[in-house]
Amino acid sequence: MSAVASTPVERMNASPAFTLGQRLRHLHPGKAMVVAVVLVLLALLIVYPFGWVISNSLQDDATQAWSVANYMRIFSERELIRPVLNSLLLAAAVGILSVLLGAPAAWLVARSDMPARGLVRSLTIAAFVTPSFVGATAWILLAAPNSGWLNNLWRASAGSDTALFNIYSMTGTIFVSAIYTVPFTFTIVSSALESMAVELEDAATTLGSGTWHTMFSVTLPLALPSILAGFILSFIQGVTLFGVPAFLLAPARTQVVTTKLAELYQQFPPQLNLAAAYCIPLLLMTATLFFARRRLLGRKRYTMISGKSRGSRRVALGRWRWPALAFALFVPVTAIVLPYAALLLVSLSKAWGRGLGLDNLTLAWYQRVLVGNVETRTAIVNSFTFAIAGATACVLLGTVVAYLVERRAVRAASLFSGLATLPIVVPGVVLSVGFFAAFTKPPFQLYGTAWILIAAFTAAFLPIAFAQAGALIKGISPDLERVARSLGASEALAFREITAPLLRNGLIAAWLLVFIPIIRELSVAVFLITSSTNVMTTMIYNAKDGGDYEALCAMSVLLILSTLALVGIAQLATRNTARGAVGGIPA
Amino acid sequence: MTQHITRRRLVQSGAALGAAFGLSGLQQAAAQDDPLYQAAKKEGRLSMYWGSYEQKTAEEIRDAFKSRYPGIEVGLLRQASQTIYNKLRLELQNGVAECDSLGTTNILHFVELKKANALLAHVPPDSQILPSSLQKLDSDGTYHVGAVSLTGINFQPAKVKKPPVGWKAMLEDEWQGKITIGSPTSSGDVASWVVAMRTKYGDDFLRRLAKQKPKIGQSNVDTVTDILSGERLVGAAAPFSYTLAQKAAGNPIDVVAPEDDLILNLGVMGIPRNAPHPSAAKLFHNFMYSREVSQILSKNFWPTLRSDVPWAEGRTLDKLKWYRNPPDSLTAEVAEGIAKWKEIMA
Repeated sequence: MSAVASTPVERMNASPAFTLGQRLRHLHPGKAMVVAVVLVLLALLIVYPFGWVISNSLQDDATQAWSVANYMRIFSERELIRPVLNSLLLAAAVGILSVLLGAPAAWLVARSDMPARGLVRSLTIAAFVTPSFVGATAWILLAAPNSGWLNNLWRASAGSDTALFNIYSMTGTIFVSAIYTVPFTFTIVSSALESMAVELEDAATTLGSGTWHTMFSVTLPLALPSILAGFILSFIQGVTLFGVPAFLLAPARTQVVTTKLAELYQQFPPQLNLAAAYCIPLLLMTATLFFARRRLLGRKRYTMISGKSRGSRRVALGRWRWPALAFALFVPVTAIVLPYAALLLVSLSKAWGRGLGLDNLTLAWYQRVLVGNVETRTAIVNSFTFAIAGATACVLLGTVVAYLVERRAVRAASLFSGLATLPIVVPGVVLSVGFFAAFTKPPFQLYGTAWILIAAFTAAFLPIAFAQAGALIKGISPDLERVARSLGASEALAFREITAPLLRNGLIAAWLLVFIPIIRELSVAVFLITSSTNVMTTMIYNAKDGGDYEALCAMSVLLILSTLALVGIAQLATRNTARGAVGGIPA
Repeated sequence: MTQHITRRRLVQSGAALGAAFGLSGLQQAAAQDDPLYQAAKKEGRLSMYWGSYEQKTAEEIRDAFKSRYPGIEVGLLRQASQTIYNKLRLELQNGVAECDSLGTTNILHFVELKKANALLAHVPPDSQILPSSLQKLDSDGTYHVGAVSLTGINFQPAKVKKPPVGWKAMLEDEWQGKITIGSPTSSGDVASWVVAMRTKYGDDFLRRLAKQKPKIGQSNVDTVTDILSGERLVGAAAPFSYTLAQKAAGNPIDVVAPEDDLILNLGVMGIPRNAPHPSAAKLFHNFMYSREVSQILSKNFWPTLRSDVPWAEGRTLDKLKWYRNPPDSLTAEVAEGIAKWKEIMA
């Protein structure tokens, strides 16, 4: 490698908090190239398609003439303002619930001796793969006021006339959205906690702090960046989810931003440009959140892995072990066990309306999905191909951007992080139109190929990979790299030999956090697919659209089983690491 | 060999299905001489963008076409009608030529495309076999009937001995809290129904329906779900064919034709002017009016496109009492109907 612009020692002295060169003029040629590649990719994947979204938002739907009329409408019409307020309520509640359920469960799995930790982890992560309209369908079967199985059980056992749950309500929508969003917080927080060394906790204990006091004064504050990341991602999920509010809020006569967007697309003539403008309030909302997070975290340090770390230790729960397990099982039971039991029953029925009975049992729906249909098989292969390629691209790009940002290796760190975060708040259907416009015309002409889908998925889920990698890198002390640098290693070598191995397991978790949402994503693909690049969720949605419930349920059950298998493989892959359970997928 | 089996089956069972698949051998031979088929074969491909018919029926039609006309590869993209139309619109705006055959449940899509001069005029020769009420949808022959969708009243037969006899009858006290319905903002068929109800009975109908406290879902298919699960007992603006299919599958559900008319909504098909494989598209649109396709439709409980092929339980369009919204001012009426619905029902 060529000479470095300044010696590591000089650079450390110049700016003790940062390890890697922070001045662009001092860029190492290799690093300059990395920065250039990252910039080009961000420009292509984010700036360019979003430029189209903005440009669309400034055009009138009827005449295609330039106009700010769309913006005037979204800030003045009651019918457009109310859904934004409802979305805010939904998102805030989902964010809070996701943290309240996900963070303690993450701690229990990562740092306590609670039984069945592996099971809780696998099921919680697997909950993530459920397309939200499938989760909503299952919960309708379980908790519709007159017919829900849980309500029937309640009426039979309590002799009551009234329903225990009404899933067709804002409360029901918040609940179902939250249980399928908890995996975000859970995975991010558990990754962070597993990376945390125990010396700070030991120090607190030495100074006379009890286990719980230590947890609240040391462990929790150290995990704050990851908890906030979990909250923000969950909040945004609450804003951008479509399936759950579409199914559960329509009967409650309530609209949120995504259902209103769907209406703009479904009406004739469609109002695609108004829909593009309608995303801008969401963008502002999210920008505010990220700003608030910066203020909250400030300049504090959240180093959890340093050169002196010893392995982490589990806290003995004593008689709380089983109550803790009961708590940690809440999400697995409500997001997986109950809904999939319902879906499984329907998928095994000849005609689901006939109810349980031996004469109503069949495996025909599985046979039809797996062997009977070329269309479905192609879609399954496509889904997995796109998800593997997209998740890999996301994690590579997200990690490099996060590294540049966290280590302040580039001057415009906030520009990089802003760009890498932007897509998450744009609902998939709008993103789909942006990508269509951006990559269909020359010079790209990617429409009809797998590339346009992989590119769109990479852009859509880059924020997750970026957030996860950022939280991980924040937790690794720069001292480790400094040592390597002072011993003469290049930045690239220090990253490859020190940082990358420490990140490994966390990045596998990040990969899953991207892979799974791609597999279950419907709306990003909606305008980009062609008959040869069709994906599984389109098929599942077609089954729903055609009222083919048994097939819908069979496909959903297969989807969750294949994902569980994949999570299992990832667990095996991370099992034999030196630190036992460093990353998101533990031993 | 194929022909031998065909004839025997035909004679033995007279089954529509057997005839459809068996006959294709004979018809294939005849098709070889068809210059349109030769041209289509040269093009080699057909790209279908269809929202009419659910996945299974659409696939069966595609497969029948492929076996009748070997040598033409068929790509089927089946999505909801408005989605597929938005997609085509985006393609046209961006100069992409991908779609050969567009089939959606909304005639307004075709009115707009025709206005933009984006449709190819072509009258499938066999369209004369259509029931007379469905012929000549467009005087210039740029779009044609591709599907017939009927909207009726479905119900749980074990719990509802006497279902409402018509739309008006649904407003009686007896049905309060028992009705389920889709939403005109999500479902084109429900939107057609709202327009028809307002034409027949005015906004008062919607006001009185709101007092019945119906459960409002999204798609008209949701009515079937609600009835099968037991959430509600009676479905308004319900899909006639789909309910029959569910009944035939053994589910406890049935459907009636209201005395004040089934509401008929047409699925429409057309060929975009920039279709990359126009001959294949023309061949396919004519094939839509073949006996084979009508037999597939009949098997899947859809109204057939030919008067000589009856559908489920011997029904034909001539025997049913139905009403169709006049297409002239439909765009405005749909918009107005949805606005009124939101105002009154929400």
